[in-house]
Amino acid sequence: MVVLDHVSQTFGEGDLAVQALKPASLSIEAGELVALLGPSGSGKSTLLLAISLIQPPTTGRIVIDGQTLYDDGPTGIDIRGFRRRKIGFIFQQHNLIPFLTALENVALMLQLNGASRRESARRARDLLAYLEIGHRADSLPARLSGGEQQRVAIGRALANEPVLILADEPTAALDTERGTKVMAMLRKIARERGSVVIAVTHDHRMIEGFDTIYQLDDGRLTCAAAGEGSARRLMS
Amino acid sequence: MELALKDIRSHLGKFLATIVGVAMLLAIVLVMNGIYQGNIQDGVWLIDNTASDLWVVERGRGGPFNEASRIAADSYKSIAATPGVLRASPMALYTAQRDIAGHDQQFTVIGYDIYGGAGGPGQFVAGRAIRAPHYEMVADRKLGLQLGDRVPLGGDEYRVVGLTSGAVDSGGNPLIFLSLADAQKLQFEQDNRALQAAAAANLQRLERAGYTPEQAARLLPLLAAGTSNINAVLVTLAPGADGRAVAAHIRDWLYFNVYTTNQERDLMLEGKLSRMSAVLGLFRTLLILVSIVIIALIVYVLTIEKIKSIATLKLIGAPNGLIVRLIMTQSMLLTLASFVLAYALRELIAPGFPRTLAFVAPHTAITFAVMLAGGVLASLMAVWHALRTPAQLALGG
Repeated sequence: MVVLDHVSQTFGEGDLAVQALKPASLSIEAGELVALLGPSGSGKSTLLLAISLIQPPTTGRIVIDGQTLYDDGPTGIDIRGFRRRKIGFIFQQHNLIPFLTALENVALMLQLNGASRRESARRARDLLAYLEIGHRADSLPARLSGGEQQRVAIGRALANEPVLILADEPTAALDTERGTKVMAMLRKIARERGSVVIAVTHDHRMIEGFDTIYQLDDGRLTCAAAGEGSARRLMS
Repeated sequence: MELALKDIRSHLGKFLATIVGVAMLLAIVLVMNGIYQGNIQDGVWLIDNTASDLWVVERGRGGPFNEASRIAADSYKSIAATPGVLRASPMALYTAQRDIAGHDQQFTVIGYDIYGGAGGPGQFVAGRAIRAPHYEMVADRKLGLQLGDRVPLGGDEYRVVGLTSGAVDSGGNPLIFLSLADAQKLQFEQDNRALQAAAAANLQRLERAGYTPEQAARLLPLLAAGTSNINAVLVTLAPGADGRAVAAHIRDWLYFNVYTTNQERDLMLEGKLSRMSAVLGLFRTLLILVSIVIIALIVYVLTIEKIKSIATLKLIGAPNGLIVRLIMTQSMLLTLASFVLAYALRELIAPGFPRTLAFVAPHTAITFAVMLAGGVLASLMAVWHALRTPAQLALGG
């Protein structure tokens, strides 16, 4: 489903060159939950940006849902269109559009993918109900709590039924209880919808139930734990 | 989903305040359009409404409107005798400022031959033309006079027998029509003290020249300043007459300057009105530029305020077109709403405006088009900034 093959990221040139991400390879199956752990500046966000081709890597090959998006250079695929159709994003600060209601934030994603106004409103309402926030559908983000905003953000990420969900510190702005709920929700989504979830976090408490845990240190990606109970093993 | 409208909804106060501010500036531009066209309309009203084929004025002068012109009153007779001239009408023209109807008002007096001469009032809104040789006047209603009112001018009093509407001089001042003799008297009349001083000086000169006081007193009237000048002669050509030949004849043989109506219009438009038109044009341009700069700034500020949302839109895959449309729609809405409000303000201002305002649809349309183009231009800086914003900005804290 998601394959990274020797993906590296170097900033600058010559003597000033800094390799923020050393050649990294991984393969993730549909429905798999992957956590990227590591301290600040270790390269977690760099890897996330590289996978989504927001900041294309310097070298390597990226294949998502059978499509080679990058092979030591662009492959000609409309990356922004691909992101719109196949990838869902969840941000640390939720990044809801402040002048749109919760419903409109979710519906926007559907409309960007060609759904009609009525259809997108209906599906957005269903999604918000699924995320147990249907009662706040018509509220602007400023009137929602942090947890509610994050659930709306998850709704937006799910709206296009993505094959890959990239979550950048999704629980950083939440307290432990709400953070745990959000992570449980991501697990549920991966299991029920078969989406790959890659979540960046530096909070070990939030990785309970994840299938594979990667550790990033100084740009080097290593598999810290894999298989059932990997989080518990890593914690112990 | 119209993102621009949703964004405006959350910045309604700022948006409305900008519309009101820009609308006020644009209303001034629209009123200036009216002043500009009103100036031209006023400037040529007298020329167009006099219906003269040729204007004869003092030699070497550009009169009678742009420059003072004085010619002998009886010169119209020699002009009338020119081959090809059907009628030559003397005309006196004089700008004055007096207390009329309780206000200090500026106006222009037109003296014309009331017995069939050209240059009189064309259409009346009330009353009739002047019939008596003296002490009757036709006034424009802008002066606030009513039929039957008696108006003191100089040493005499004139009765209003007719009212016109829209009869103005090139400065927009209302016209008063008098018989030629009355206008000449008013124009060249001196006050008593000035007359007495001039008479005393003349007496002294005569006595120094060796005349006895009795002889000097008898000679004095001959030295008095003449009041029989006129300012122009209006020529009506005979059917089939060659205007150029008639003009050449008057110019070469009678030593006057001759202008056709079109030449008089050109003199007026290129002379007296051109500088005012240039000033108005400059102010209109500046105000439009200021309006566009204000729109540009507010659209830019609105864009900067939502730059993280724009980065998020890019990150989730929104096409650039959506982002450009978001910014441009706001700019266009600002421009359109400001123009509509400005138009309404103009309609409110116009009836009480102290000068003639002439609104011409093409001018309004051109101003609208310029503002629309300006609205597009105004959004370019914001569009440029938005398109340069990297999607990863959304991931920042």
